[in-house]
Amino acid sequence: MSANKSNRRADPAWKPRSEMKLINTAMRRVDGPDKVTGRAMYSADMRLPNMVYARLVLLQVPRAVVEKIDVSRALEVEGCVLAQPYVEAGTEVLYSGDDSVVAYVAAETEEAAEDAARAVRLTLMPGPVLVTRLQSLAPGAAEVTSDGNVGRLREQGDEEDAVLGLSESDVLIEETYELPIQHHLCLETHGCVVDYDGEQATVYASTQAVTSNQGEFAQLLDLPSDKVRIVTEHMGGGFGAKFGAGVEGGIACTIAKQLKRPVHLLLDRPQEFQMGGNRSGTHARVKAGATADGTLRVIQAEVDRLGGVGGGSFPGLPYIYEAEARHVKDRSVHTASDSSRAMRAPGHPQASFIMESVMDELAYGLAMDPLEFRKRNLGDDVWHRHLDTVAQEIGWAAHPNKTAAGAPDDDGMAEGIGFAVATWGAGGRRGAECEVRLNPDGSVTSSCAVQDLGTGARTYVAAIPAEEFGLPLDAVTARIGDSSLPPGVGSGGSVTTGSVAPAVKAAAHGAREAMEKRLAEAIPGDVDGFVWADGRVRSTGGADFDVSFREACAMLGTQPVAVTAGHDRSLQARGQLHGAQAVRVRVDTWTGRVQVVKMVAIQDQGLPMNRMALESQIKGGMIQALSYGLLEERVFDNEHGWLLTDNMETYRVAGTKEIPELVAIIDDEDDRPVTGMAEAPVIPGQSALSNAIYNACGARLRAVPFTPDRVLAALGLLS
Amino acid sequence: MSKTPEPAARDEREADLSRRSFLKGAGGAAAGAAFVQGAQATQEAAVADPEAGVRILSGATEIEMSVNGEARKVTVEPRTTLLSVLRTRLEPALTGTKEVCDNGNCGACTVLVDGKPVYSCLQLAVTVQGRPVTTIEGFGKPDQLSAVQEAFCANDGLMCGFCTPGFVVATEAALAKHSNPDADTIRHELAGNLCRCGTYDGVFKAVAEASAVRRGGAK
Repeated sequence: MSANKSNRRADPAWKPRSEMKLINTAMRRVDGPDKVTGRAMYSADMRLPNMVYARLVLLQVPRAVVEKIDVSRALEVEGCVLAQPYVEAGTEVLYSGDDSVVAYVAAETEEAAEDAARAVRLTLMPGPVLVTRLQSLAPGAAEVTSDGNVGRLREQGDEEDAVLGLSESDVLIEETYELPIQHHLCLETHGCVVDYDGEQATVYASTQAVTSNQGEFAQLLDLPSDKVRIVTEHMGGGFGAKFGAGVEGGIACTIAKQLKRPVHLLLDRPQEFQMGGNRSGTHARVKAGATADGTLRVIQAEVDRLGGVGGGSFPGLPYIYEAEARHVKDRSVHTASDSSRAMRAPGHPQASFIMESVMDELAYGLAMDPLEFRKRNLGDDVWHRHLDTVAQEIGWAAHPNKTAAGAPDDDGMAEGIGFAVATWGAGGRRGAECEVRLNPDGSVTSSCAVQDLGTGARTYVAAIPAEEFGLPLDAVTARIGDSSLPPGVGSGGSVTTGSVAPAVKAAAHGAREAMEKRLAEAIPGDVDGFVWADGRVRSTGGADFDVSFREACAMLGTQPVAVTAGHDRSLQARGQLHGAQAVRVRVDTWTGRVQVVKMVAIQDQGLPMNRMALESQIKGGMIQALSYGLLEERVFDNEHGWLLTDNMETYRVAGTKEIPELVAIIDDEDDRPVTGMAEAPVIPGQSALSNAIYNACGARLRAVPFTPDRVLAALGLLS
Repeated sequence: MSKTPEPAARDEREADLSRRSFLKGAGGAAAGAAFVQGAQATQEAAVADPEAGVRILSGATEIEMSVNGEARKVTVEPRTTLLSVLRTRLEPALTGTKEVCDNGNCGACTVLVDGKPVYSCLQLAVTVQGRPVTTIEGFGKPDQLSAVQEAFCANDGLMCGFCTPGFVVATEAALAKHSNPDADTIRHELAGNLCRCGTYDGVFKAVAEASAVRRGGAK
């Protein structure tokens, strides 16, 4: 073998975007055909021989001492195979949520399980009702948690500076802003199917964290991790709510161990609302001031995070903007309801609504263009460019009312435009690995345990090796959602793509180099290198080698090429994500109804993996923000503590008739490598929407959602 | 378990099927009764009222259904929903139809009965005897997609995919009704289906494209 056949190793690097055939194009999802035909199997769809259906029994009141739990009648239900208390008699259930689980049943059919659950008799001594902020803060209120009703105080900035700033401001506002608790509302509820035979188990879990679920379920099943396999082929949404096994996963394991039969335990919809997670609510009292030149001089705020028994999330103020002075205190105010969980950009939509409202109020207070006022107080040029882009697309230049609110036409309708910006961190984390395997028959697999929440991860796991070898997308099979594959990462904080795509790229690159080494050894003549394109491979240099990909693989004989690689930081974006959105609304000032006419978003995201999935995800963020802004709110009955919004009739989300014209602009000036970005586009929409309502008709909405009654009240039309 | 009609039986005779929640909820442990016109067979004795042609079913009952063109026999209770039959009682189960709200709010369980879209969570299985049921599995296969399914893939009308079967079935029904729906008609026809990922824009484009393909026009 001549010296120039030696394998010259290079570090993996993304090709120039202009040379890419798959990545950064609009690709169909590889699992689309399975999803549109109903063949895609979700955890809830698993049907195993001899499987039982399990069901939880939840208290409806937030707090009570459970004096007695009688499962005897449940056991009499035909088909019921198990009914057991989850807590001992005398236990005090402390809050509405996963603490509400007091018993569980298992039965041969879903209906029998439902009957058995309903037949469990409870004797309760109800406790105090503490489901609202005011109930919790009332003098003499009972304690929600052992740490009291208020906790996790934080303080940023300096009070004296803030007081001085307020005295030096030319325009001041002093207002209260409120955001409700929002639900993730994953269409597939929490839960799993546990298939356990006493020695090993497969758990079909609806989870955002396949790899870490393995250890967790192993513990729950008293098995070593290598005897437990987690499978999540498809999942019906996560949005941050589905990481751990949860109470439901623990109970499924308990039943499986006891019965040694497969157990199907998915929450029902009311239970999902009660214990499946939520975005914390927020109550903020704010003072802010600006000087006549359009400078944000100061912000002072007292913020309550309303995360139930949890801490809630809040990133601080003035959030993305720059202020000369600030004094911001935030704290948790606990209520007897389940803990908030991570939800797509935890804390950020709340901070965005407060800060973007403040910016808007100050701008109009100064009779300034709110777009201009924002730019003056945003340091990073990317936001200036993003705001200009969305302003152009929404038609701001031709809009009549730029420095004061408009007025309705004779028919009571008013049209307005509002703006807001977003931020999140770019990049990924270590830990993900991928195996790329080339088989002698020409088939290629790309394998990583990572789950696909609907983001399109499965598609780029296939596309990256296909790009590397000059193959069509369908020539590579992506194997994901299985803990027996090389580890993935949990899908939280938009880190999945920045973590997994670099590992896939590194593995694909490694597999190509290994393949080239094998080919070079087999080819007579001088080989300088190889070109992989259009389903063929040819050598450069003296040798005359030009074969199809399949023929090249056949040269492997019986031994495939398989390379596993881990995360490579040089292949991911770093730093910050930006983003801006603009909303155009029509407000019916007679009825208070708000119609969103158009939403525009621009988002930076490094190297796009799949432009079609990326656009879908940006639009998905916009729609979730619209839904949050107009419709969504968790409501408890204040007297008895019942959760009133425990179904999709009372907890409303946006449907087809709420959807406006949507424009999602991918920022191609961002030339960084790959990163996820899903959190960012969910942040600013409701803020821009609120500002658009004000711009239309002068109704300033300081509480989310912007329901017709609130619009009319803001117009002074309701007492 | 009572096999005798309750006094209210005659009043319920004409009851609308939307009373399913009453019937479903009223069933205690495997009890409950449904009042069905033209029921085919019962395992337990049925009390018949020959004058009215009404049969009263109670307990486990074997019924015959036509699902995706195939005759299927399945044992149900009167309160068993069509959704539950499809997902848990048929062998093999047809799990493409999804359960999301089980309350008639979201459309994820949409199937066709007599060619019309219905929420299968709001239909008692005993009421669809002798009426053709078409589920998502009845439209196309991954390697042989219907025009609607093809258009959903081409326009990214799905993300997590859990609402997708319901949207696809509702779209098939909408296009059977309107050969060239405008944007408002598309929104109206799909107003009974909810998506949480926010994939509506892709769905709208898919419906428009599928209708063009079905009319024989270019994409």
